[in-house]
Amino acid sequence: MSPVFRAACERLTMLYFELLIQGLIYGSMYAIIAVGLTLVYGLLRILHVAHAGLFALGGYMGLLITNSTGSLILGMPLAAAIVGVVGMAIYRLCYQPILDQPPYVALIASIGLFIAMEEMFRLIFGPFGLTYTNAPLQSVVQFAGIYLRAVDLAIVVGSLSLLGALSWLSQKTRIGLAWRATVDDPQIAESFGISVLNVRYLNFFIGSALAAVAGVFISLLSNLVEPTMGGVPSYKALAIIVLGGLGNVAGTLIASLVLGVVEAFGTIYIGDILDRDAIAFAFLIIVLMIRPEGLFARR
Amino acid sequence: MSVLLNVQDVTMHFGGVHALTDVSFEVQDGEFLCLIGPNGAGKTTMLKAIVGAISPQEARILLDGREISGLPTHRRIGLGLALTHQIVRPFRSMTLTDNVALAVGHRRIRRVWTALAGLDRDKERAEALKLLEMVGIHNHADQEVTGQPLGVLKRLEVARALALKPRLLLLDEPLAGLNHVEATRLADTIVRINQEGLTIVMIEHNLGEVLRVGHRLVVLDNGRKIAEGLPRDVMQMPNVRAAYVGKEANDAAA
Amino acid sequence: MGIYELSLATVVGINIILAVGLNLITGFCGQISLGHAAFYGIGAYTAALMAKAGMPGPVNLAAAMAMAGAVGVVVGMTSLRVREDFLAITTMGVGFLFLGIVRQQESLLGGELGISSIPTFGVGKMGFFVLVLVLAALSVAFSLYIKRSWMGFAFEAVADDEDTARVISVDVPAYKLAAFALGTALAGLAGGLYCYFARFIVPDDFGFITSISVLSMVAVGGIGSVYGVIVGTALLTLIPEFFRFISDYKLLVYGALLFGVMRFAPDGLAGLTRLAFRRIQRKGGAV
Repeated sequence: MSPVFRAACERLTMLYFELLIQGLIYGSMYAIIAVGLTLVYGLLRILHVAHAGLFALGGYMGLLITNSTGSLILGMPLAAAIVGVVGMAIYRLCYQPILDQPPYVALIASIGLFIAMEEMFRLIFGPFGLTYTNAPLQSVVQFAGIYLRAVDLAIVVGSLSLLGALSWLSQKTRIGLAWRATVDDPQIAESFGISVLNVRYLNFFIGSALAAVAGVFISLLSNLVEPTMGGVPSYKALAIIVLGGLGNVAGTLIASLVLGVVEAFGTIYIGDILDRDAIAFAFLIIVLMIRPEGLFARR
Repeated sequence: MSVLLNVQDVTMHFGGVHALTDVSFEVQDGEFLCLIGPNGAGKTTMLKAIVGAISPQEARILLDGREISGLPTHRRIGLGLALTHQIVRPFRSMTLTDNVALAVGHRRIRRVWTALAGLDRDKERAEALKLLEMVGIHNHADQEVTGQPLGVLKRLEVARALALKPRLLLLDEPLAGLNHVEATRLADTIVRINQEGLTIVMIEHNLGEVLRVGHRLVVLDNGRKIAEGLPRDVMQMPNVRAAYVGKEANDAAA
Repeated sequence: MGIYELSLATVVGINIILAVGLNLITGFCGQISLGHAAFYGIGAYTAALMAKAGMPGPVNLAAAMAMAGAVGVVVGMTSLRVREDFLAITTMGVGFLFLGIVRQQESLLGGELGISSIPTFGVGKMGFFVLVLVLAALSVAFSLYIKRSWMGFAFEAVADDEDTARVISVDVPAYKLAAFALGTALAGLAGGLYCYFARFIVPDDFGFITSISVLSMVAVGGIGSVYGVIVGTALLTLIPEFFRFISDYKLLVYGALLFGVMRFAPDGLAGLTRLAFRRIQRKGGAV
């Protein structure tokens, strides 16, 4: 092998590796947004578009609290808690009264709510977005030959451990058992003395809190929160829960990572034909044509 | 008599559950066949497989000698099958009359673009009213489906199936949910329709009615055919008594 | 009518064609679509390119319809493969896919900058308004006709319960495809008209927000009700114009309205009207 050829090969391997890492960073962020949507869908069969608003709210809260206290350690959990409570309120005030209606009713209501939330962010916090006065986690570390920021690592590690904790919660605890029972059959769960209402509240709390964490992550990644930040990642999260086989948490995680990687590679190789967002949806449509039940359907 | 429906080797499993295993039977033209068996025997699955609402792993189903196993549901219905559901499935956005009238006009909606040509629904509605009268619910004709008692909806299922003018009518527990008078009356109506030449396959739990109306029985248990023959003969068979009556007795005891 | 009123009325007419088309798919046949703007865009781009190539207006409008309808059938095929909830997401994806393609095609479709200086239709502003009005009236009449026809009867069955529809011999896939073909062709027509009206189109005219706006017009009017959809379209097109002093709050009001209608009156204005009518009748009967 000639040295020139070998060097080219190494560069290509390096590129692939970087793309893979980049894909995993985005993918794990998509995963914690999408898990909230999957939880809501699994329980209520609602496509909860307003989740995007909660994601943005999380970004704002995290940034505002971090800026005023100077501590992300305080900012992120507080943002998650606040957004979690707002999520519960959205369930109680918006979804619960229309659960008996055909599915499009909740879907359209949710879209309306999302638009209204975006506009409120714009009116309250201004159209141009906010930045961190002292952006945390920006130090650069070298990892396996490529340079990463601390925030990149924090996103991957943070997302995966949160999802791990969630999976432990659902598999190993009484609360998780109640949740799974309610997903399978609310009426039977009720007859076993499970409070379906409390399960739903918990569901919205956890899902929304995770969205808030994702919102804080993305604000750290770009050092920016803006009113429209929720839109695109959340539309993709909707695509992901479909890919993952609606209501399936493990499938959602894998689909998120796969989509992140597909996007990263796609932007390099077919970026001239399609932009990043279109690549995600082209992938979704192709997969659905081959596997109408999603990648990991649980029938 | 000739064979109207020939069901050969139907095998269907959902995941690990074997709903049907190698079930075969024939239905003669003009016959009134009752399909019986304990709960979970696979009776409803059998009827759904015949109309193609579910796809068995293996099946050869012939209607009048013609293989229909590969056809989509609407084509099979078009060839002369009709099904009533055990759990009622009316169109909830329509009146009772319109539920039936749409089925009466099934030829007008067979092709999409020719369906665009017709507007007039009066003839079909008049015919629908007759059918509602035949099953005894014409008093409810112009009411919405929502809020109707189960007894009315069960009979609506039958009227809608009859509206298709089928050659073979598949009835899934049409009498369940009716009171004694209603049940006897509907059973009599079904017998009369059968006497006028319509072939019928009926799932029914009410053994009294089964013995009264059925020409022949097919017994399923755990997804297998365990017996078939004349009603009195079948009911005497030890394995039928063990599987069917035994389970009933167990159910009653529990 | 002044120039301003004339152009407002023209926009209302175009939006009615667009909304009536979506109502055919979502209202009549029960197939939710979050990507209607893509077909609107396909119509607009088709007509714009042909107009710039010097083709006559009526031909371009017909081509816009045909093109959007043909793509609509292809997208409709996805509706045969996936179940209802998936369809909403799939059609949303189609919308983003359309935008993604248009944005990256700079040489042919103008990329982000869109297509400008599109020739006029050649009948003057008033003449064009009359054309839009006639086509809108035809679309409404056609849609009312479908609703009353046996095709509409079968659509109702498909929207209500697909499985039951099959059991009374309805060819469900064929009906869904028909709804998509007709509804998206109307969107294509609206798009063709829009390109002649605006004479300048950019990808963002046909984005997700536009899809949602059209869906809002249908939902606020009352899904499935043709008259409701006309009123809903006129209202949602005009309200932001009449209340221009609130223009900064326009989208907030829009979102809140959409949410409010679904939360408190899911059958839209048509449902409210029916309810009021029944109350009056009941009172009349009591007296």
